[in-house]
Amino acid sequence: MADSDGEYHAGDASDDEFSGAPGSQLETRSRSRADGPKKSGRKGGRAAWEDIQRSWDAVVEGADGTLAGTIEGLAEAEKRARLLKDTTPLQRGIIRHLVLVLDMSFAMTEKDLLPSRHELSMAYASEFVREYFEQNPISQLAVIGMRDGVAVRISDMSGNPTEHLEKIQEWVKQEPQGSPSLQNALEIHTPTHGTREVVIVYGALMSSDPGDIHDTIQSLIKDRIRVSIVGLAAQVAICEELCSKTNGGDNSSYSIALHEQHFRDLLLAVTTPPVTRTQEQSNASLLMMGFPSRTLAAGDSINYCACHNRPTREGYGCTRCGSRVCRLPAECPGCGLTLILSTHLARSYHHLFPLRNWVEVPWSEARRSKACCSCLAPFPDVPGGAKGKGKGKGKGKEKPDRLPLKGLSESGRYACEVCRSHFCIDCDLFAHEVLHNCPGCQSDTRGAQQNGDINGAMEIDP
Amino acid sequence: MNHIDASEHYDESAFTGQTPSLLTIIIDTNPRAWAALNDTLPISKAIANILVFVNAHLAFGNDNQVAVLAAHTNRAVWLYPKSPNPDSVAGPDSQDVEMTGVDGRPSHPELGTSANKYPQFAQIETSILTSLRSLIDNTTTFDLKPTTLISGALTIALSYIHKTSLAFEPSKTSKDPANPTTAPSATLAAPTLHARILVLSVSDSEPAQYIPTMNAVFAASHARIHLDTISLHGMPTFLQQAAFITGGTFLSAASNPRGLLSFLMFGFLADAEARRSLITPTQDSVDFRAACFCHRNVVDTGFVCSICLSIFCEVPENAECLTCGTKLALGSYGAKPAVIPRKKKKKKRINGINGREETGSATGTPVPA
Repeated sequence: MADSDGEYHAGDASDDEFSGAPGSQLETRSRSRADGPKKSGRKGGRAAWEDIQRSWDAVVEGADGTLAGTIEGLAEAEKRARLLKDTTPLQRGIIRHLVLVLDMSFAMTEKDLLPSRHELSMAYASEFVREYFEQNPISQLAVIGMRDGVAVRISDMSGNPTEHLEKIQEWVKQEPQGSPSLQNALEIHTPTHGTREVVIVYGALMSSDPGDIHDTIQSLIKDRIRVSIVGLAAQVAICEELCSKTNGGDNSSYSIALHEQHFRDLLLAVTTPPVTRTQEQSNASLLMMGFPSRTLAAGDSINYCACHNRPTREGYGCTRCGSRVCRLPAECPGCGLTLILSTHLARSYHHLFPLRNWVEVPWSEARRSKACCSCLAPFPDVPGGAKGKGKGKGKGKEKPDRLPLKGLSESGRYACEVCRSHFCIDCDLFAHEVLHNCPGCQSDTRGAQQNGDINGAMEIDP
Repeated sequence: MNHIDASEHYDESAFTGQTPSLLTIIIDTNPRAWAALNDTLPISKAIANILVFVNAHLAFGNDNQVAVLAAHTNRAVWLYPKSPNPDSVAGPDSQDVEMTGVDGRPSHPELGTSANKYPQFAQIETSILTSLRSLIDNTTTFDLKPTTLISGALTIALSYIHKTSLAFEPSKTSKDPANPTTAPSATLAAPTLHARILVLSVSDSEPAQYIPTMNAVFAASHARIHLDTISLHGMPTFLQQAAFITGGTFLSAASNPRGLLSFLMFGFLADAEARRSLITPTQDSVDFRAACFCHRNVVDTGFVCSICLSIFCEVPENAECLTCGTKLALGSYGAKPAVIPRKKKKKKRINGINGREETGSATGTPVPA
């Protein structure tokens, strides 16, 4: 229960932060909420479920009688929280191997988390996959399900998020059934290098195991595999034992989700790279890494890989000592050099050079373009013919009641400030959310200066 | 209604036939490289081959579409469909006048002459040829650089594909249970448009374009767009990686550029759906070297900042990361090879008392991992 209480206070902290948000007109609200926790703090030993929070009590109507302000404030607060999270320097350069174990037993049909435990955990699992690879670009993931008393492989250990997402999606429609088996799930082995972790989403209050799970726990400890569990129902003794024993006596990795949002937070918290136990690794450092090329054994011959001593045809030669490794990322068994695929690193580079936001284009400047620079979708014509400026403004005055929302361009055009090309809203979204390139800057370097840093990228750390 | 009038027999889902396929071709038009290829495969011949390939693609299905881009030395230009925008380089003011001049001309001058040609084929051919002609005419000697703006062409092609697939997509409804905050899972639904990109490459990859190219490649892999490359000249390292990441095909026709059409027809004509039942040409080796951030060198062993994962070819000045500014500790770069002590051990054991059985295990018999 200690866990839950801790979480409850954490929730308070975020509330306080929220009340400090600039421009929020919710001071009465935050004050009244701030009182609550203090009271409960005095009472001390109360369990989490005794503190009944009614979410509808917390919402206070704005002065105009609507909830818009509250909702906006919440959204803002969430964004801010994300922003704060992003600035902490994380150690992304470590290789994690993580197995996500999802409960797919009868217990997951419960509807205490909406729409159902199963659907929610599947949705969050997809989110987990995305977030995990964002945070740990050179790490690997596997997904395993527990149903019918056995462990089913949902997706194998790999570093490709799309593969995992597709495989998870295939299981969403499958009705959860049978009993879960912790032991069977844990017996599936993980590779022998890097940090190894198991994350279990556990809805059931029992586990049907073929043997003694304590043996399994012992072998986990021996293999230095860390287990963390997010429970959906209530605390289970064996789960607690499992977590504390595999984490060196620290049972903070076992937690129970109180509600949907809490479940999400708990699960996504695992995506943050773990604290390494050695001092040397936790400092920022310059790591030497090799980017080996994939080669095939010549002719019909088969080579043994240096890492597993298995015969393979394809492999990667260490760039320093030439040992052949069968899969990446790995540490060279010969010289200890970290070997990775450069493409794994490249996946996170758009964080380093974020694309500058594009600006709205007023009618007066809209004449320069007839269609989106990248997708060639035609733009609406400039009203009032070619004589731009005055008329454009006049048009704007004609319909003041439909004044555009903030951030919405009146001419349907958005311009990159660097290359001054015009784009449509679809391309704006696509470029900023998926592509992270400015099509205009990329496709015309004639005007740009000679250094390579175009791409409309923001200046980092001026 | 369907139950009453039995119109379920005419349920269209069974008859929709094939999914439309959008082929985007990026032609590398680097003048130097084509000059080098001129003896074996002049660009006119290459374009003729590509047009045959384009026609074959269009003939495969009624809904198939094609888009063609040119990646030039310093810009990426639409060849088909044509961009209605004025070219912005000569200054925006003078350009508007010119623009009307261009518009005043009949847009398909040669269309009428080819009565025996399927109009769509003729239209594409005319558009590509005229755009390419004007691109070549506008190229000055100042523009003659050895590299090509592949990243820009990829970026534009992806935006275009994105927009086109939006048009094919059914109206978006939030399918994601209980969580509107997650990214829309539309990409996971059955694709309504098969898109792929084919790059006809004749030049080396430009290390300065490493990051934008990789951004584009991951966007393509995110949208499950295959990035195919046929290389006639040079060594496009990044495009090779791109093909590997996106599950596309990389073929090098450098040994025999004259066979371009055969390469195109046999290697690249099948769309994503057909490829599932075909065995596509595989790459036996992939060059995975990366470009460093400091000198734009292509390296196979580099230093990586543990915070932001920037790659450097040498230890940066003051051991400070050039990208994120973090003070970095220099690790011991595995300076001690793990091999030597083991060898000594082995020798000892061989010379030791009980020879064979022990040596067998001491050399590190495979232990299942």
